[in-house]
Amino acid sequence: MRKLWIVLLALVLFTAAGCGEEKPGGGDYLPVMLERSVISLDNDYIMDTTSMEVLGNCVEGLLRQDRNDKIIPALADSYDISEDGKIYTFHLRDAKWSNGDDVTAEDFVFAWRRVCADANEYAYMFSDIGRVKNAAAIISRKAAPVTLGVSAPDSKTLVVELEEPVPFFLSLMPLHIFYPVNEKFFSSLAARTYATTPETFLSNSAFTLEDYKPGAANIRLRKNKNYWDAASVHLDGLAYQVVTSPDDALTAFKNGTLKLVKIDGDHAKNIRDDESLAKNLRTVNVGHMNFLVFNTRNENLANQNLRLAITHAVDRETLVNDYVMDGSQPAYTAVRPNFAFNRYNDEDFSADQNKFAEYVGYDVKKARGYLDLAKAELGAKTFELGLLYSNDAGTTLVKVAQALKAQLEANLPGVTINLQPMTTAERLDKSKKQRFDIVLDAWRPDYADPTTYLTLWQTGNANNFGLWSNARYDEIISDCMSGDYWNYDDYWAALHEAEGIVMREAAIAPLYFVNQTILLADGVRGIEFHALNLPRVFKFATIK
Amino acid sequence: MTKYIAKRILLAAVTLFVIIFVLFVLIRIMPGNPFPVERMSAEMILQKRAELGLDKPILVQFADYMRMLLSGNFGNGTSLYNGAPIKPILLACLENSFKIGVLSIFFGTAVGLLTGIVAALNRGKFLDGLCTVLSILGVCIPSYVFMIFLQYFFAYKIPFFPYFFDPSRFLFSSIMPALSLSLFTISTVARFTRNEMVEVLNSDYVKLAESKGLQGFELMRRHVLRNALIPVVTVIAPLVVDLLTGAMVMEKIYGVNGVGKLMVDAIAGEGVDYNYVLALGIVFSSLYIGVMLLLDILYGIIDPRIRLSAKEAA
Repeated sequence: MRKLWIVLLALVLFTAAGCGEEKPGGGDYLPVMLERSVISLDNDYIMDTTSMEVLGNCVEGLLRQDRNDKIIPALADSYDISEDGKIYTFHLRDAKWSNGDDVTAEDFVFAWRRVCADANEYAYMFSDIGRVKNAAAIISRKAAPVTLGVSAPDSKTLVVELEEPVPFFLSLMPLHIFYPVNEKFFSSLAARTYATTPETFLSNSAFTLEDYKPGAANIRLRKNKNYWDAASVHLDGLAYQVVTSPDDALTAFKNGTLKLVKIDGDHAKNIRDDESLAKNLRTVNVGHMNFLVFNTRNENLANQNLRLAITHAVDRETLVNDYVMDGSQPAYTAVRPNFAFNRYNDEDFSADQNKFAEYVGYDVKKARGYLDLAKAELGAKTFELGLLYSNDAGTTLVKVAQALKAQLEANLPGVTINLQPMTTAERLDKSKKQRFDIVLDAWRPDYADPTTYLTLWQTGNANNFGLWSNARYDEIISDCMSGDYWNYDDYWAALHEAEGIVMREAAIAPLYFVNQTILLADGVRGIEFHALNLPRVFKFATIK
Repeated sequence: MTKYIAKRILLAAVTLFVIIFVLFVLIRIMPGNPFPVERMSAEMILQKRAELGLDKPILVQFADYMRMLLSGNFGNGTSLYNGAPIKPILLACLENSFKIGVLSIFFGTAVGLLTGIVAALNRGKFLDGLCTVLSILGVCIPSYVFMIFLQYFFAYKIPFFPYFFDPSRFLFSSIMPALSLSLFTISTVARFTRNEMVEVLNSDYVKLAESKGLQGFELMRRHVLRNALIPVVTVIAPLVVDLLTGAMVMEKIYGVNGVGKLMVDAIAGEGVDYNYVLALGIVFSSLYIGVMLLLDILYGIIDPRIRLSAKEAA
């Protein structure tokens, strides 16, 4: 008996001995909520916005976005563009990695070749979108990585060669996939261990990793003293905490554990009536657009009138105000507003939400008219359609799907909607294989140009789940993507025309533009929120 | 005896092999991809599948996997943490879960034993009733209710403990997680201890010891507890594995970077990470099988009848 106690006591002492009790850092560490775990901090492998944000506060690319999403210099001091728009020359400023090494043009050449050679999720930014010379061939293993159209004539000059002029090429540069990687440091590590611990990671931006383990629920970043713009950074560091439950987020904010949390629609609604918290409430534009995709291989949904009936039977105002409730806005265009601006006059591509009033909008009479046409054309009296949606990302989408079912069945007599909830991985899998009737899909812009949305519905695009196809649309988009519109006004007008085709034929039914409701503690200022690329930037944040 | 042990070990190995095979096949026929596919073309996906060897026949894949496993390696992730080697990451998470698990076992057994002893010594009295009600409550209340309750009162209403687990203040911030996990252990151990002790207290040899003049603590230590605890230990063993392998809900609520959370990330991350799910499944099953094997062998040593009946059955 005594032995048992001794063993147990020894175990506890052993456990206690294994862990120091003092808190590292101290000082002005801003405690912030993360919605999910970081999946990777290697820019080559990142595909989710959470990982992007944590990495983006540690590493900088050639250019970055300012508070208003304008593209401004970061590691590149200046740049020149050749007459034909195919050669970009970036001049790097003097900057250092957190280990003291210089950031050089070779770091970019190394990182970019690596991305194309590995051909991961975001590699298509080099080939399909950025049109960097030979990127497509390298990704499909038809050319060697050294043939990539990027070179470093000297350590401070980076020359990028494109296959076609790309009007929005500069707006791609803040994206994580275009970040540099220190080749010497990377090569000194064991395979695939880069960025898995603070010791295997280098930063060149405002913060550096202080405490991180793969899958960690808490991550600490410390101010990077070697950052070229360290004078602008006022925080001592950031303390990220993964919180998956909205209730936890709210209580952790209320007791001061966290100073910035995201809350869901249900809580947002209650907080608006709560005087002590309402002043901390903000709605930020984070970039997703949620929309319905119709599978045109389905014999009924191939009928344009049925699709138009559905898009007119959705009451988006009610959907957003009574079900989503987090400050999201109803969507009546195929491109979300607030991220793509005309280069010359700053016009927001989608500011006018009424431009397609003819093709989309809540109008039960019109919807029933289209439905009658569809019934006559298809010779059917009833339609039974499945609706696929993700149920692993909070409860909002579940509520939206249920509301859609109620609205469509009430407004369209004879239409039955079968709800098909599943995980996001499964939904994407089924969508790619066209095993659906209607799918509730979402897209967050990758770069500041309407084509980040408008390429989605091009024939042959991997994300054109519904296999909708229109020759004129394909022509416009491929011309836009291959630089045939060197005149920017024509380019802009062509994109408007393309968007009109999507709406006229109801290839998709836009539902709402996702906004986020957050609670921000008093005295915390200077955090930048972005609709694309990094959701939150803490470089200029301060705590009073 | 050697034959009995050898047979048990063989059986355990076969069980583990079957589990690995079933896991391996299930995870490959599960919907979803080992990598996210939102932005990849069909050709790129095929290329990635080929690189991971997923285009080979499933039995060939399984043979490859077993070969790697036998060399003491879990391979690399397929979608988590840029495909870094699994072993160090898994070990780090296991360490966190183990530490909290050990704390909760210690706490659970200590309080459970004490409650059981107090109840047994006061059989039929108020304290006995109270302990019984408490231990029934402990079994009935789902532990996550208790977790949320603790977090709400002792981290929010009275902000004494940290709201979330904080590895830099390990002991302090793991008190609430360990406590909430130990609730079930406390109740189970208390109930068993009480019942066994009541039985032993009524036995002839205890009465004899009492009549010889042995009293109080000495009687308890030498005669009652020793005999009452043997069945209790067999109840604790499987509970220990449960606690050590982490509790997914607890890790989610307190934000602990343990194996439970790793499992959730592996399944519900951007892509399903085949190798993490497999590695975790193998670790969990090995622990269970290991503990059961140990118990079987111990039973055999303690009680020769079990050994003999096994022989007769064979």
